[in-house]
Amino acid sequence: MSLRLKLLLLGLATLVLPWEGTRYAREMESALREGEQDSLTQVAQSIASSLQGQTHLLYRDSAPPVTLGPFDLQPVVLTTQPYLDGYPDEWPRDKTAWRHYPNGNNGGFGILTGVFERMLYVLLDVHDDKLVFDAVGANPLDSSTLGERIWLGFTGPDGMEHQVFLSATGAGPVMARRIETGEYRQQTAVTEPRINGAWQPSPAGYRVELRVPLSMLGDRFGVLIDDRDRQGEPATSYGMLSTQDLHTQGRLIAASPDLTTYLSQFLQPGLRLAVASSDGRTLAQADALGQATELGPEPGILARLYRRLLDEPKAHRAIDATAAIYDQKHQQTIGQLRVTQTGERWLTLRDRALTRMLNITLITTIIAVVLMFVFAARLAVRLSRLRGASESALTREGLITTFPETGASDELGDVARGFSTLLGRLNEYTGYLRTLAGKLAHEIRTPLTIVRSSLENLESEGISDGARVYLDRARQGSERLNGILVAMGAATRVEEAIAGAERTRFDIVAVVASAVASYGNAFPHRRFVTDLPSEPIEIEGAPDLIVQLLDKLVDNAVDFSPPGAAITVRLRSELRFVVLAVENPGPPLAPWIRGRLFESLWQSRTDRDSRPHFGLGLYIVRLIAEFHGGSASAANLPGEAGASFVVRLARA
Amino acid sequence: MKRLIAIVEDEPAIRDNYAAAFAREGYTVRSYGNRAQAMAAFASRLPDLVIIDISLEDEPEGGYELCRQLRSLSAELPIIFLTARDTELDAVSGLRLGADDFLTKDLSLAHLSARVNALFRRVDALRKPHEATQIIKRGPLTLDSERMQVEWEGQVVLLSLTEFWIVFALARHPGHVKNRQQLMDAANVVLDDNTITSHVKRIRRKFQVIDPKFDAVQTVYGMGYRWVE
Repeated sequence: MSLRLKLLLLGLATLVLPWEGTRYAREMESALREGEQDSLTQVAQSIASSLQGQTHLLYRDSAPPVTLGPFDLQPVVLTTQPYLDGYPDEWPRDKTAWRHYPNGNNGGFGILTGVFERMLYVLLDVHDDKLVFDAVGANPLDSSTLGERIWLGFTGPDGMEHQVFLSATGAGPVMARRIETGEYRQQTAVTEPRINGAWQPSPAGYRVELRVPLSMLGDRFGVLIDDRDRQGEPATSYGMLSTQDLHTQGRLIAASPDLTTYLSQFLQPGLRLAVASSDGRTLAQADALGQATELGPEPGILARLYRRLLDEPKAHRAIDATAAIYDQKHQQTIGQLRVTQTGERWLTLRDRALTRMLNITLITTIIAVVLMFVFAARLAVRLSRLRGASESALTREGLITTFPETGASDELGDVARGFSTLLGRLNEYTGYLRTLAGKLAHEIRTPLTIVRSSLENLESEGISDGARVYLDRARQGSERLNGILVAMGAATRVEEAIAGAERTRFDIVAVVASAVASYGNAFPHRRFVTDLPSEPIEIEGAPDLIVQLLDKLVDNAVDFSPPGAAITVRLRSELRFVVLAVENPGPPLAPWIRGRLFESLWQSRTDRDSRPHFGLGLYIVRLIAEFHGGSASAANLPGEAGASFVVRLARA
Repeated sequence: MKRLIAIVEDEPAIRDNYAAAFAREGYTVRSYGNRAQAMAAFASRLPDLVIIDISLEDEPEGGYELCRQLRSLSAELPIIFLTARDTELDAVSGLRLGADDFLTKDLSLAHLSARVNALFRRVDALRKPHEATQIIKRGPLTLDSERMQVEWEGQVVLLSLTEFWIVFALARHPGHVKNRQQLMDAANVVLDDNTITSHVKRIRRKFQVIDPKFDAVQTVYGMGYRWVE
């Protein structure tokens, strides 16, 4: 894992902040929820106690109903206003609220009642195999033309019984009519416009949707249907009213419309107040749950994202509290009050705090990660620079280029300075080693001169033949020692010669050709093959040094090739370089020595001969190649048949 | 009268060996270990030839100083530097101070006495009138082998003994390539290739001071040098 990645991961550790923040937000949310719950319970209890004993509001009666009779109706509280069209779409789907009244074995009807604001809504679903309407244009009281007829019986607020009927000549809106007896006992059908609705055929028969103002209604209500299979036929009457005199038989157990009004005064946005009977049926409710509170949800994509991350999928977004409503004597519950409050309030508070905190941590994290990344990148760059410098610091010449980062005041700077010091010492040491040979040669020269001059003087002293043998040996030994000294100082002398060399422009082809021509005499046991371009190639440098370079390469090629071998000298021109190659058959170069061949005082010779070798030949080759803006390298010939030494020289 | 050779050398063994060798050759030899002793002796009498080591006891470059002082006493006195130092710089400095030759201690005693003899021959020749037989003329070059003196276009070229012998070896057979070994033998020196190269370079430069277009000494790469007329 790279340093960059590690620091990046470290930067991600700041993400623990939002995680912890989320937990904190959840705790805050539950604390808020508890507080809200408490206050909501208080609200519920105070409203419930204000409703204590208000039975007439809850039931429009002095006492709550004890049991439910077969003809009693309990309207549900509708949350939306039904559209009077004869279709049940806007009604609750709950089947249990329906009451059913059979017509013998032949059909029957179901009735669903509901209260919305100050209206009682009635949905009738009549099963009838044959729907018969009144004759068009006929008197609705003409018994010979009558079709299906629906009777509504109810008591008014004053307790008086009323009956109205609904009949239609076709599908569509209907209005209730009341039969009035005039002065002369003539009967007329008077339209009752307050009770209206719609009549629609249905697959099973027909449906009628009605609306009756609660202000018209007392505590009794019922529906009776006159079923006819043909117009004018005697009707089969069935339903909730007495078939004899159309008297009501069941009660309408609904809250007073004033109850809703009463509840509404406590209503606030985001709140729902509902009064239920003791058995849990809703009597009235005032609903502002969906209304926006003053603390709306936090806008913005991020806030929405946080909310999605934070909320459990099925979290309760609302709280509610219930309180019992007692009778006047506070002995019996007559109903209960349920107050529901939307969660928006505290969720919004939570969201605001959370959004702000998450935004801050997100920005902090981003900044931290970016900073760490930049820091890591910079550190990595510095480290790799340091590594690069340390790799290239110890060049083959032992020269150390200036070390980077030594100016830095941090630990990396310490490391760099440590390296620098170390390399400095190493450099001194290598420098000492490099000059050691020269110094040694110089120091040995004086005693050697003593030995040699003494031997020479000894020779002139006239010694015996027996002693002369030893004298000769001593002289040979001193000559060899001298040879070694010359070789040891060679590198220094070559370096000096190169430093003092003058540059001229010359044709390297001619120089190489003339030099190679002389090798035939110098090395009679080798053949020399040349592969030179016909055109002259000019380079800038010292021809003497080029010849010296070639001497060393040829010398090397001769040493490592068997007698009679052909040594090839090639010269070819490249775009910016002249490439001089000397190839010889013989043992291939081991891969590990190739890089070191051109180092000073390094040699791979294992044979022993009388000539001293200090591995300087190829080092000199390299020095001369570098003097000419080029380089030296070694490779094996194809098939490992021998070695090839290649020198590149910059073209003029 | 025997010629007097002074040896200024701080290493007693070498000093005595050289003294013994020169004494055998028939010279009178005085040897000194440091500059003060040498100068004290030279004040009363100048020797005929001086062999000086560069570093003398506690003076690393005392030889140069001695050479300078001697040159101020006499312009003709042959001076030979004989030293363990063999760098280009040392040689150039020594010769610039007016030394007649700059030799390293690798040199055998036989070679050394050959050079000493040659220098005495030159001194003698300079004192005698010109002998035409010893003179070689190659175009603008006039070469007096007796006096070991070279003139180019009538002007004297001041060459050291080694340089003279190299020019002599080349000019005697113009067009013939002399390899480095031949030049070394001619100059009675044992030098490595680079030193021969730098000697040749110095010779060219000395001629070019007189004639900037001088190019009579040609390099034959891989073989050696030749004199071109």
